[in-house]
Amino acid sequence: MNYRETMTSGGALLWFFQRITGVYLAAILLIHVINLHVLIGGEVTFAAIAERVATPMWKTLNISFLIIALFHGLYGMWVVFEDYIHKGWMRVLVYSVIAAIAVVFTIFGTLTMITFQHGG
Amino acid sequence: MAMLKFKINRFNPDDERRGHYAQEYELDVPKGYTVLDCLNDIKWKQDGTLSFRRSCRSGICGSCAMTINGVNNLACETQALALKSAVITIEPLRGYPVVKDLVVSLDPIVRGLMAVKPYMINKTPPPTDQERLQSPEDRERLEGLYECILCGSCTSACPSFWADKEYIGPHAFLKAYRFVADSRDEDARAHLEALDDKHGLWRCHTIFNCVEACPKDLNPTRAIAELKKELVKGKMG
Repeated sequence: MNYRETMTSGGALLWFFQRITGVYLAAILLIHVINLHVLIGGEVTFAAIAERVATPMWKTLNISFLIIALFHGLYGMWVVFEDYIHKGWMRVLVYSVIAAIAVVFTIFGTLTMITFQHGG
Repeated sequence: MAMLKFKINRFNPDDERRGHYAQEYELDVPKGYTVLDCLNDIKWKQDGTLSFRRSCRSGICGSCAMTINGVNNLACETQALALKSAVITIEPLRGYPVVKDLVVSLDPIVRGLMAVKPYMINKTPPPTDQERLQSPEDRERLEGLYECILCGSCTSACPSFWADKEYIGPHAFLKAYRFVADSRDEDARAHLEALDDKHGLWRCHTIFNCVEACPKDLNPTRAIAELKKELVKGKMG
């Protein structure tokens, strides 16, 4: 085979981005845990969480978490599939399913976050 | 001395109907015998049809790499009695096409190796009557990189290679980094360009099997990590 034919696969930047997003996800998770169990304290109730989630800052944070977690997880899945699926049509099919999941979850997740309100 | 049983995987291309099968031999193994000594003894005294590769008997040529009791190793560097096993199972290196008995085709190794241009690229003529010099610090960087004997144990143990037979392989990555890290090499890009490929560096998932399998105790995974950094740096400009 010609090893040069797919030289511009772009794997380098995606690999690097996967590392960056991994660190970001770990940081956001830590912020969530600390905020919920250390800073707020007391009983964890729907009202307490909803009040926080309804603020613009937490909405932004949660939407970024949603998009980056989806990218990180689904790209990771794609890399695993890529190892074992070598047939062209099968790769297109799997890639399309992953892309569709990404689009649907991003739209519904973002809509849920944007429209979420608490206490009228 | 101890009487050991050798269970050897056999395959004869002229008798493909029989396929792969295990054949057992018994041998009185003296102290100090390597697995290669045992195989030689079996071949010379019991069964001349048994095929395996060997050359240097000193852990330098890499010819006698095989899977011994499930672990890739050089037969000439494996003491038979030290395995502490009454039955020693010997198989050809996994993942490669078997040519005959313990002899495998190393074509995938050569293909991956050639892709990374495994030689020093330096267009500047060397100084007259002198080698190309490098500082002791620059030479130090090549420790653990140049010693690879290309036995194929690492790539044979790599799940990414099992899944993709066109995967360039940890042996070639280690060799590529040996030249990328060499201060005398003038064209790192030439060694790197084949790596950013769907059969290249990004198929490595840091499983460390190559490190465990290397009979020379080298660390291809570390070389792969360094190469990934080099590629990302190159992309960032």
